[in-house]
Amino acid sequence: MGLSVENLGFAYAGKTVLQDICFNAPLGKLTVLLGRNGCGKSTLLKVIAGILPLQTGCVLAAGQAIKALSGSERARLIGYLPQFHQTVFPFLVEDVVLTGRAAYVRATPSHRDIEMSRQAMETVGVEHLAGRPYTELSGGERQMVMVARVLAQNPQVILLDEPTAHLDLGNQQQLMRVLKLIVARGTTILAVLHDPNMAFLNADKIIFLNSGRITDPPENCCPWDPSFIESIYGISTVVLPYHDKAVIVPTS
Amino acid sequence: MLRPAPVIYYLLPFPVLLLSLFIGPGGGVAPADVLQALGHKLALSTLPTDSTLDMAAEVLFNIRLPRICLDFLVGGALAASGTALQAMVRNPLVSPDILGLSSGAAFGAALALTVGWLPLQPSAFFFGLLAAALSYLLAVNRRGLSIVSLVLAGIIIGGMFTALLTIVQIVNDPFKLQTIVHWTMGNLHNASWQRVRSAFLPITTGAAVLFAMRWRMNVLALGDEETRAVGLNPEREKLLLLIPATLAASAAVAVAGIIGMVGLVVPHMVRMLVGPDNTRTLPVSFVFGGTFLVLVDDLARAITTFEVPVGIFTTLIGGPFFIYLLKKSGAGFGETS
Repeated sequence: MGLSVENLGFAYAGKTVLQDICFNAPLGKLTVLLGRNGCGKSTLLKVIAGILPLQTGCVLAAGQAIKALSGSERARLIGYLPQFHQTVFPFLVEDVVLTGRAAYVRATPSHRDIEMSRQAMETVGVEHLAGRPYTELSGGERQMVMVARVLAQNPQVILLDEPTAHLDLGNQQQLMRVLKLIVARGTTILAVLHDPNMAFLNADKIIFLNSGRITDPPENCCPWDPSFIESIYGISTVVLPYHDKAVIVPTS
Repeated sequence: MLRPAPVIYYLLPFPVLLLSLFIGPGGGVAPADVLQALGHKLALSTLPTDSTLDMAAEVLFNIRLPRICLDFLVGGALAASGTALQAMVRNPLVSPDILGLSSGAAFGAALALTVGWLPLQPSAFFFGLLAAALSYLLAVNRRGLSIVSLVLAGIIIGGMFTALLTIVQIVNDPFKLQTIVHWTMGNLHNASWQRVRSAFLPITTGAAVLFAMRWRMNVLALGDEETRAVGLNPEREKLLLLIPATLAASAAVAVAGIIGMVGLVVPHMVRMLVGPDNTRTLPVSFVFGGTFLVLVDDLARAITTFEVPVGIFTTLIGGPFFIYLLKKSGAGFGETS
């Protein structure tokens, strides 16, 4: 079932940000959302996640319309990783991950909640950080901890906003490995990335957003097609094939 | 992960409370008489009573004991309220007095005492909530909450309610005026069982709701979007913290006046001991806040021959502590959350 979005529109202060958005992110696949800065990628993710209100259109996660769901019902279906994250209080990593269980908790977390967040930390590979204050971690470690928090939430669809921002090359690769592991277990991921090459190399499906609308590459055209890329990013590029995929390099 | 705080922290108050029974201004009741009176009350001693002992019992059970109980309730309420407000605004530099909440509650209580037909506790609660909500709404904007704006808003709102309080004082007759002035300085020497009864229900209710919210405070402290992403509505959660925190703190103000800095200092001390996890910080804050105020009030009673209002002491202790926190870490000042 995955995630499907129909005719989604969003306006902010009278200005249209998103228009006629229709796409679907297939079940158990990594779908990547690409586009220029300010084209509405983060807004789209926030609307799907329920952080911003759904003004028009319909979002179906695992076959259920999210508009009809309560906050905690929605959170059990859709997990969301925001872009920037900081906190003043030096919470321990394990306590931060545990907050991902909020949709399942009445007053305080149960043993099952604790077990789920322990498993999430193991999956992401941050269990060795469990007893350290979150505020003392590096940017890469924090990002991995927040991914573990989304996993602890145990949603069927995970939305990630620039998960590789501020990560070095090694950490980017480690994160990609974790994401592939997650989709292999049947979770649907929709991620906003700023680096098209990372999308070309890792994504199962790529969606382009241009000025608030979905733009598909012309038929029989690869997403890395230079004229298509120019229409999105406004720069000319050359394509370097790599196995059955390709990366692009800007030309001067 | 979710280890409760060591039991010792909850046992700590008992020796303090017990010892405080022996402390009073200048030699009125000898410790031996206190022991005897206690013995009689608990039916342990069969010695015949006499007038000294009756006097001791009177002092003990109708003056010192209600005062200790009131100290404990008021200190606990302020500290638990401070912990909740800090989680709510995601900054460890706020407390009921910094948000203007205490001034609002003090105005509400003074107004009720003056006009006579207003009920004391509801009036204190209403104006305390009004002040705290105004400070918060003044400081919050679309990008979030700036702690600098919040502290400034708290100063302005607090100042306005203090001005209103002064008006109430001016229109009062001189006899009532002295009572109100003494009471606003943060004073517990008028403690009585009647005051304990008046504060008990709102403080325990507020504290109980905060206790039920203790884990959700951790969720909320991470940020609005982070809270929404895991399925909770941050605005609703904030109200669920603000209302009980105001209920407890304004009930404390209504019976004891403005006792500054307890809601700031105690949560900090507690976090140093048990860490930032609110499932531990909140209950330990209540217990430590209560014990702290009992101790400071012991000092206020014992140090001088006349009584210094306990609020003066707590502010003198808390002020430098606040400056130290500011200097040490900036504690998130200037950051928006």
